[in-house]
Amino acid sequence: MSDVLLVSTRKGLFVLERGNGAWRITRREFLGDNVALAMCDPRDGSWYAALDLGHFGNKLQRSSDRGATWSECAVPAYGEGDEVGTGDGKPPVTATLRLIWSLEPGSSGQPGRLWAGTIPGGLFRSDDHGASWQLMRGLWDLPERRGWFGGGYDQPGIHSICIDPNDARKLRVGVSTGGVWASDDDGATWSQCAKGMRAEYMPPDRAYDPNVQDVHRMVQCRGNPKRFWAQHHNGVFRNDGGDWREITSVSPSVFGFAVAVHPRDADTAWFVPATKDVRRIPVDGKVVVARTRDGGESFEVLRDNLPQRDAYDLTLRHALAIDATGERLAFGSTTGGFWITEDQGDHWRVLDARLPPVHAVSFAGE
Amino acid sequence: MAKVVLSSALSRWLPQSGAAQPPGEVALTVAGGSVADALEQVFARYPNLRGYVLDEHGTVRHHLALFVDGAAIGDKHDLSQAIGKDSEIYVMQALSGG
Repeated sequence: MSDVLLVSTRKGLFVLERGNGAWRITRREFLGDNVALAMCDPRDGSWYAALDLGHFGNKLQRSSDRGATWSECAVPAYGEGDEVGTGDGKPPVTATLRLIWSLEPGSSGQPGRLWAGTIPGGLFRSDDHGASWQLMRGLWDLPERRGWFGGGYDQPGIHSICIDPNDARKLRVGVSTGGVWASDDDGATWSQCAKGMRAEYMPPDRAYDPNVQDVHRMVQCRGNPKRFWAQHHNGVFRNDGGDWREITSVSPSVFGFAVAVHPRDADTAWFVPATKDVRRIPVDGKVVVARTRDGGESFEVLRDNLPQRDAYDLTLRHALAIDATGERLAFGSTTGGFWITEDQGDHWRVLDARLPPVHAVSFAGE
Repeated sequence: MAKVVLSSALSRWLPQSGAAQPPGEVALTVAGGSVADALEQVFARYPNLRGYVLDEHGTVRHHLALFVDGAAIGDKHDLSQAIGKDSEIYVMQALSGG
């Protein structure tokens, strides 16, 4: 079970540790700076933090001593001639790194391998712990990439990277907005695999076009890697290797950003619903978590010790985390709320802090 | 000698050699030439600084301002502007973007 949480916020990285049965903030790093995400690399215990500095661009920091000291890595960079063309009519512009939107470690057999998904849509690979990065041109150079567009941001981006735990050459990435892309050869060649998803926001004849699907977040079950869950702009979808299947029974709403799946039980997944895209607040001002234990046939609404009156907390796509045991989950909100459960969501505890807006949450260590 | 002045918001990202406090505003002397020449001398001393001042295409970052002897540079894509032997280049964050 993990006793450490990395909480990335608009104003710093907060390290939470469990001691004597309670969770407390034990470290405050990059205070005042915008931390987009943080990740613990289970292969060597390194921590990575991606900073989105408003003036000075995106930076990547690495710590090998659990946050005591940090050193700067390289960041993904676009080359001369790389251009962002989008499918929503915006004029093409020169591609520059806007955001490191996802960061995942490679497999245990790939020391030093990191994957980074970015806005404006490039997937990058490092094989030296972030000292250098290569753009995966097999995806970037596809003509379909110019049909992607921004969802929330001006430009499209890769927010979810799933690496098959049984075969690290198999990758799936989620794009907002650009569907789901698959590579079975370590990122060399790619194909679209969002078939079955439905985009309510598009003209009817484009609703099932895989390349316009606004996936908000996609996760893969480690114990059953054929199973994926996706929280999409207008619904929830699951996949077992074929087409995506829409799950309509999510209560209290099918709209949201975050999803987590149990590491062994593929039928158990959690969502943090909000009202709808034009009203990104909890339904009726009540913070709840929706949990299914039967693959989406039914959902329980978990609310024990979560705020149930005048709560306007929105949970962003990376702000819900689950630990390797599947027992502990934690989520934070754009208004700085933070809650932890140690029994899969039956009961929640609130962190005694008023955090800055929470961008991302991840467990460190196992 | 010409001078490149880094604002404290920028200089705090310079590699620290065990210093407890950030260095505050930092002034570096450089030989003359162009704005680009002056910056290259600064980047030679502090390689990580390049990515803070310029994007990957060599353009001055959108929310960064370069003032040469009190006047903002006219084109963030073009750093060929000549500087005098006693010029002062201020590298500072714009008020936007924070």
